[in-house]
Order: sequence, then structure tokens, then C-alpha cells
Amino acid sequence: MSCAIAFEHVSHRYLHAVAVDDVSLRVEAGETVALIGPSGCGKSTLLKLAAGLAWPQQGSVIVTDRKLAPDNVLEIRRRIGYVIQSGGLFPHLSAVDNVTLAARFLRKERQWIADRVAELAELVQLPRDALDRYPSNLSGGQRQRVSLMRALMLDPAVLLLDEPLGALDPMVRHGLQEDLRRLFKRLGKSVLLVTHDMAEAAFFSQNIALMREGKVVQRGSYRDLIDAPAEQFVSDFVKAQRGLHAEALDG
Amino acid sequence: MVEYRRCLLGAALTILALVTSPSVLAAKTVIGSKAFTESVILGELAAQLTKEAGYDVEHRRQLGGTRVLWSALVRGDIQCYPEYTGTLRTEIFASQSVRNDDELRALLARESMWTSKPLGFNNTYVLGMRRDRAAELGITRMSQLASHPTLRFGFSNEFMQRGDGWPGIRQHYGLPQQNVVGLSHDLAYRGLAARSLDLTDLYSTDAEIVHYDLTTLVDDREFFPAYDAILVCREDVASAVRESLDRLGGRIDEMTMTKMNARAALDREPESQIAASFLREELGLASDVKVESRSARIWRRTREHLAMVGISLGLAMLVAVPLGIVAFHRRGIGRVVFAIADILQTMPALALLVFLIPWLGIGYAPAIMALFLYSVLPILRNTHTGLADIPRDLRESAEALGLPRIARLRYVELPLAARSMLAGIRTAAVINVGTATLGALIGAGGYGQPILTGIRLDDTKLILEGAVPAAVLALLVQWLFGWIERRWVTAK
Repeated sequence: MSCAIAFEHVSHRYLHAVAVDDVSLRVEAGETVALIGPSGCGKSTLLKLAAGLAWPQQGSVIVTDRKLAPDNVLEIRRRIGYVIQSGGLFPHLSAVDNVTLAARFLRKERQWIADRVAELAELVQLPRDALDRYPSNLSGGQRQRVSLMRALMLDPAVLLLDEPLGALDPMVRHGLQEDLRRLFKRLGKSVLLVTHDMAEAAFFSQNIALMREGKVVQRGSYRDLIDAPAEQFVSDFVKAQRGLHAEALDG
Repeated sequence: MVEYRRCLLGAALTILALVTSPSVLAAKTVIGSKAFTESVILGELAAQLTKEAGYDVEHRRQLGGTRVLWSALVRGDIQCYPEYTGTLRTEIFASQSVRNDDELRALLARESMWTSKPLGFNNTYVLGMRRDRAAELGITRMSQLASHPTLRFGFSNEFMQRGDGWPGIRQHYGLPQQNVVGLSHDLAYRGLAARSLDLTDLYSTDAEIVHYDLTTLVDDREFFPAYDAILVCREDVASAVRESLDRLGGRIDEMTMTKMNARAALDREPESQIAASFLREELGLASDVKVESRSARIWRRTREHLAMVGISLGLAMLVAVPLGIVAFHRRGIGRVVFAIADILQTMPALALLVFLIPWLGIGYAPAIMALFLYSVLPILRNTHTGLADIPRDLRESAEALGLPRIARLRYVELPLAARSMLAGIRTAAVINVGTATLGALIGAGGYGQPILTGIRLDDTKLILEGAVPAAVLALLVQWLFGWIERRWVTAK
């Protein structure tokens, strides 16, 4: 597998607005790509297109070398781990039941499931006693760790992360950022990560795709975006993201 | 997930237990009676004579009016009931203009019906007023009513509609009165006593005529036909039963009937006991009557009531939950389904019950069907709402796990909608407990039975014997569902 995700001239319209407009983008195997842009630029929709939660009106989405279609979407989703900002944990299931739901449905062996849960809990550094709790009794950071365990349970090739740290307070967020980056390196997964924070994008990846109004305006490292902006919007966006820090330091 | 499954299993077992509890009606002779005291006594006499002939018998008492009894007889839900020749001529065979009782007998035979010998009394309709009021106005004959247009008339509901009732009288005597209301026969007496009515229809054998000191008006232009009491049976009733019933022929004169009515209506003696003592004294039959103890009665009615509520609720769950799921996923179907359910919900319960009789007969079946129809909407609506209220990100998270639609429904969507669904089932159950009291009107028994009898006999104690357990049951149902919700459904 050379290419984990490929969008080929993909367009997606909602009833009254264009969300994704003729986007072509590739995520190579083992690579982390950070999608960034102002809210409403279509970055979350692009992620949903990759998970088959939305379907393109034009173009095609290829995941792990297969074109996404209604008849293979269930199978392909099992090769994908999907984490959203709110965690998306099912409130009626305990943490461990959330993590193992898909595996139990697929009738994986009980021992295999137990081993895998133990392994993942260690990987995401979740205390063992948190596993038996219900989502409402977990801290925000723990919820995202559980959500990550759920996404990793079936050992997917691809991770789709939609602002996974967006709802966390800065201290927790910082700790998780470190953990996540280490984890991506160690597992060698292909990752498509949505964020609206330029510093976070730069922290995770040399490979940033900046979106605006449904289109990818520039792809490159953080340095590239600063040194060789493709258009005025790129400079404005980078500047706006640096603004407060810079002003605070200068002032 | 395991707990959720256990909850479903528990519910299924409860329903199964309820479904199997009502005694399956064996091949019995079923006697019906109308919803007034005399008819219940005559029905009881017929039932005891049938038993005397060696047949298994059930008396479904106070089923309703002529139409309900007649259609139950035609369908074969009952085999016999007490009737009056005048009623058959003017109500059932109105279009054939039957001149005498021989023609009536021939017509009935053509319908495969058998009639007993006349029992011996003519219970004609009469119009009655308070003696003092009639004297004050100088009214003794029906034709005099025409010159008192402001009198307030209150007629039993059936009388308001019948050809030999108010519409016929109004025409025959040219009566101008506008202030005419329909009400229950037994309440009309109380209306007269309280002076809120001036005149009502009475049966000439009513015990209350003497008790309330009423005067009856002379039918001076001979409007009312003869209402000779008889028993009407289906032809397929065993000849031994017919012979036994014919022993009543000519044995009950007007005086005897009036006295029996008085014992029931005024002295509150059970109808079965009155019938037994008549058979003992007049026919020399040693009829033994078992009077159920109060606790046995209440327990039997509780079983009947629970069976109605449980079965209808169980069926409604089986239908409304899948329908709610479909309605949620297919909006077009959903709109149609909700429109139909809304219409059903606005139908008056009594009307619905009567509509169902020609199709399902009397007894459990139409009662359960009506309660089922009333239960569908709350469960349907809450299932739909429960599913629609699931946050989009949870729905998508379940999809992203690669679970097929059925698995998402089972493991994620239904458990998340469970609280709302349960609230719908709870609403349906509580409504059902109340509505099921109407089941007594069509022979399904339950807590409505003593309420009906209590209204007929003006017996508050009897009304409470039905109303209190019904209220307690409603509270228990509330509490049970509250417990289920706390135990199994509350979001952790």
C-alpha cells in the first residue's frame, strides 16, 4: 500500500452551500497530514468523506487503495479509526464496552479482546480503573484517550482525527499532544488530522494542508507557509494565528 | 448491553405471562343482558335455568343496548338474551312493519333465531313525571304535553334514537319541546328527584316509579306497542336448554317483575340471589348461588383488567416500536403513519368499541383491539423522538466503527432512545388502565364492571370497588415503570 487516502477531484455540496470544491489530496502510508483552515472551510467534511459518512457528488475517495463505495464502506470503515472533538463515546456503555463494541460484534476471541484492551490502555496511558467507568464519570482527557483506544481497537491502517484535542483545557491538551505524536511515530499509522490551531498542526506534521472555502490553497511545511505563501490569505491566516503570542511578547 | 438485553427478556416474559393468564373460553352457553336491572335479573334467570339443564353457562351482564346485544347474538358471541317484542318490532325489524307477534316469530325464525314463550308481563315504555309536578300542571295524558312547550325532558340515550322512542312520540303527538337531553336511564330518576328534569321515559315495571313517587302518563293516542318480555336465542342452542327456558313461560307477571326489580334496585340484593329465590319459590328448583367474596371478586377483576392492559400494551409495543423505527428512517412513511395514529387517538373510546363489535364481537377481543389502537401513538411518537434526539456525532461514531445498520440500531440507537421509548410505553400503560374500565360495557369485565353496576344501582360503595383498584393499579404502573427506568435505562 503506497497511498493511505487519496481524494481525487472531490466535490461535496450541502443543500445550500459548497463544502468541498474539487479537492485533490493524498496521504501517503505512514504519513501524518494536518488539515487546517478557518471554521466552515470544509476540513471536517473532507474527513467525513474519507470515512464514508458523507458521499462526494463528484470525484472519488480512495482509502487503502480501494475506492470507497456503498458495498465496501463497512469493511473499509473497520480499517479506519475515527476520533471526533467530543469523543463520541456512547453514554450507555462503560469505557471498556465502548472500546470493544466493534470487536465483540465481529466475534473476536475474548482473550484477544482482553489482551488488546490492556495493550491499548498502556499505549494511551489510561488508568485501568477508568476502563469500567461510564463516559460521564471520565475527565475530558480520559474520554479522548478512551475514544482513541476505540479507534485503534481493530488496528486500523488509517486514523481520521477531527480536532481530537479541541475541547480540552490547555494543560491537558499539551500533555495529550506529546502522547499522540509519540504514538503516531511508534505505530506508523497514516493520519489525517483536522485542527484549527496552526501551532498544533506544525507540532504534529511537516505536511500541512491549508483550506479555504472548500479548496486546498497550499500544502507544505509550516516554514513553507510563512516563507512562500501561495496567496495573501495564507499570510493573513498565519499572521492571525501568531498574532496574540507575538503581540504579547513584543508588548 | 447485557443489561439491556435482560430488560427486553423480562418485558417479553411479563407479556407472555399476561397473555396466557385469561381463561380460554370453553364451549359454554353465554347469556347476555342489557344495561338495566330488569334485563340483568332476566339474564340471571336464563343462566340459572341453562345450568339446571346441565350446561356450562356464563352470564355476561349489562353489555349495553339493543344493538350491541342483537349483533352479539347474530355473531354468536352470546346464545340468548332477554328482549321485548315491541323492541324487536320497532328496532330490529323496523323496515318490515311487523303487525303482530306471530309475524315477528316467523321473521326471527328466518334469521335462525328461536324465541321462548312470553314470560308473562308487558314492560311497556311509559312517560313519567313527579306526582307533585304533574298535579301542579294538571297533566295526566301524553297529549296534554303539547300545551307545555317549556318542560324539560330527559330520555335514556337509546330512547332518544329509537323509532318507538322520542322521535316517534314527537311526531305522533306533535310535541314542541326543545329542551330534551339524553342520559343514562338510572340517572334520569335522580334528575327527576332533584327537579332538574320534568319528564323521562320509564319502563312500566321499574321499581323506582313507586319509590320516587312518580306518576305515569296515559298513552291516550296509543303510540307504544306491546313489549312482551321473551328470551331470544340462536337456533343452535340445545333443545334441553330451550325446554328449560320455556319453563319461565307465563310465570312472571308485572307485579312479580316489579317486585324483583325493587329488590335489586332499592334493596341492593344481588340479581343472582333474586333469580335463585324466584326459581326456588315458583318452579321448585334448588338453585344454589355462589356469591363471590369481595376479595375473590376484586382479584378476578384484577386479572381481567391486567389481561386487557397487558396484552394490548404488549401488542402495541410489538407494532409501534418497529413502526417508529421505520417512520424515523423513511420520512414519507413516517408522515402517513403519524397521520393515521393521530386520527385513531382522537376517536372517542366508546365509539371505537361499538365500531369494533360487528367485526370482533364482544368481550376481550374488541376491548384489547381498542386499547391496542390507543397505545400505538404514544409508543410510536416516543420511539421516533428518542431516535431523532440522538446527537449526530454519536450516530456518526457508531457508523464510523463499521457496524451495519441493524447492529447500530441494536447496540447504540435503541439503547439511547430507550428512555424516551419507555416514557411512551408508560404513558400508554397508564392511559390503558383508565380506558380499560370501559371494557365492561362490552363484556370484557375488569374494574369497569362494579363501576357500571354501581352507577346503575346508585351504589357508591360498588363504584369505589372498581374505581379505587383502578387508581391503585395506575399508580403501581407508574411506580413499576419508574423502577424499570432507574434500574436499567438511566444514562450512566
